[in-house]
Amino acid sequence: MIRFAKPLLLSLLFLCLPSVSGALLYIDINAPGGKLMPVALPDFVVASGDASLARGFPEAIGGDLGMTSLFDVLPRQAHLERIVPEHFGGRPLSFPDWKMIGAEAVVIGKVEFRGDLMTVEMRLYDATLGNMMVGKKYAGPVRQFRKMAHKFANEVLYAFTGVRGIFDTEIAFSARPEKGRGKEIYIIGLDGQELRQVTDNRSFNLFPRWSPDAAGLAYTSYRTGVPQIYLRNLATGKERLLPQVGNSKSPGSFSPSGDFLYATLSVKGNSDIYRMSLTGSAVQKVAGGWGIEVSPSVSPDGKSVAFVSNRSGSPQIYVKEIDSSDERRVSQAGNYSTSPSWSPAGDRIAFTSLSGGRYSIYTVRPDGSDQRLAVSGSGDCVDPSFSPDGRYLVYTLRKNGYSELKIGSVDGRWQRGLFKGLPAVGSPSWSPRQ
Amino acid sequence: MKNMLVGKRVLVALSVVLLAVAAGCGKKEMVKSTDGAPGAEMSTPSSAETQAGGQITSETLGTQTAMAEAQAGVAATMEKPSEFQDIHFDFDQSFIREDARPTLREVADYLKANPAASILIEGHCDERGTAEYNIALGERRAESTKSYLVSLGVKAGALSTVSFGEEKPLDPGHDEAAWAKNRRAHFVRK
Repeated sequence: MIRFAKPLLLSLLFLCLPSVSGALLYIDINAPGGKLMPVALPDFVVASGDASLARGFPEAIGGDLGMTSLFDVLPRQAHLERIVPEHFGGRPLSFPDWKMIGAEAVVIGKVEFRGDLMTVEMRLYDATLGNMMVGKKYAGPVRQFRKMAHKFANEVLYAFTGVRGIFDTEIAFSARPEKGRGKEIYIIGLDGQELRQVTDNRSFNLFPRWSPDAAGLAYTSYRTGVPQIYLRNLATGKERLLPQVGNSKSPGSFSPSGDFLYATLSVKGNSDIYRMSLTGSAVQKVAGGWGIEVSPSVSPDGKSVAFVSNRSGSPQIYVKEIDSSDERRVSQAGNYSTSPSWSPAGDRIAFTSLSGGRYSIYTVRPDGSDQRLAVSGSGDCVDPSFSPDGRYLVYTLRKNGYSELKIGSVDGRWQRGLFKGLPAVGSPSWSPRQ
Repeated sequence: MKNMLVGKRVLVALSVVLLAVAAGCGKKEMVKSTDGAPGAEMSTPSSAETQAGGQITSETLGTQTAMAEAQAGVAATMEKPSEFQDIHFDFDQSFIREDARPTLREVADYLKANPAASILIEGHCDERGTAEYNIALGERRAESTKSYLVSLGVKAGALSTVSFGEEKPLDPGHDEAAWAKNRRAHFVRK
């Protein structure tokens, strides 16, 4: 049963029967369980007859909708009606054909070319009412077709739930291009496609972290022989070396405004949390002491920072209120908790914790309550990073000496492998919305 | 005897001048690197200057600094040979163990006998745990080693430190025998 909005008045309007006119299809994204929305994604109409593109779009959209655990994508073989250009020129879909196979929503699309430019029109239909819920046109190079599909999948999710999708976001990570080399920074799409290499200096390039506008990456590079933090503009490739304070240094996270980078810097062997100005040159210690303090992750309101400290004798997760300087421990169990990632939704902090001889990923409320296991597997699950909507985590699964990146929903209902095509993948970081 | 550094500078200056002349004139001549003063070390930039059908293509010469840095970057990923043994640490610890002392005395004796020498102390970890924390742990190990050497009378200025965390294991294995080898400080003559 599709759950409808809670207020009683609205529930009188939105009846469960699909044939009532005026009813809108709606999914409560936070409702556990419930019937999946059956959606059909027929092949797109492609002017050049490019079959791979005709299918590539619906497959990309289907992969995205599958992440949500809200949709049931019907198999292509069941489709009765073939989509033709006339469907975009006024001819209605044969909605009984779609309803007959159980579809309640249909996405159709048409691709045209003008030289190097591709225009794509995509439409989402309510199969019961026969109305178009959302229609969009995109233009761009052919190689960007996945990005367009992801953007439309965001629209589909928004049309049903009122929540913006994150399907066009990306993951930055570190990996070894080949044996015998150091590590470089890479970026990949959520669908595991469009892998691209960002650095190529043949040294160690580690810990990529996205700027809030998704235009840049901060990362640590040993390209001069010693670690430095660089800030790279992804569009121009231009880089900026941040103030060379301290010995070891790694970026943690940017402030929400993008004006500061919270980083781990070590001075005389002692690693602490610092805040580095990106508009000036100020570097200020934020948290630290005689112990090891590393890995700052800022809250979405910018007022608090989670970090690791071994001041109690073992590494644990702490939260510091930046203004009041109050600090509290938030990881509750075990004797090794590291790699905090503060959810952009603000409500939870994910981290790695060693328990029963294995590393798993937990989440906890910022006040330290309700620590829960989020991800565990047949190997070590480490270094979580939240999606911009706070609903998913990307992490590294390590076992038997190899590692791969995986993504999964925080509630555990859905997961999939993201990438394992290079040795020593790790340190994933989920981009903000672009 | 010519001073090698002066010779190098002359060479670089001459190269720059020649390039400027070539760029300015736009003539169809090939710019070669000049012969420097005898005894001077030739820098070896990757020159892609060609002459094909009257066209000049050119590639900017890397400065000496940029090239040295690039080599240092690659070198950072490689294990550097050492005439000293590594010293080892307990899991998640950075204190100097008893079994490290003989090697540390050796290093200290060497540095005290060679006041102009300097050593880079690399701190390393095994692969367990997470990478960022291990950078900090490696940093501690390097610093702890440095402190011990200073306590043996070595000048602090002769010692520099760098952490590689878990990034450069000596032994690629995944058992305690390998891990024990990888929890180390490594000494590199600079």
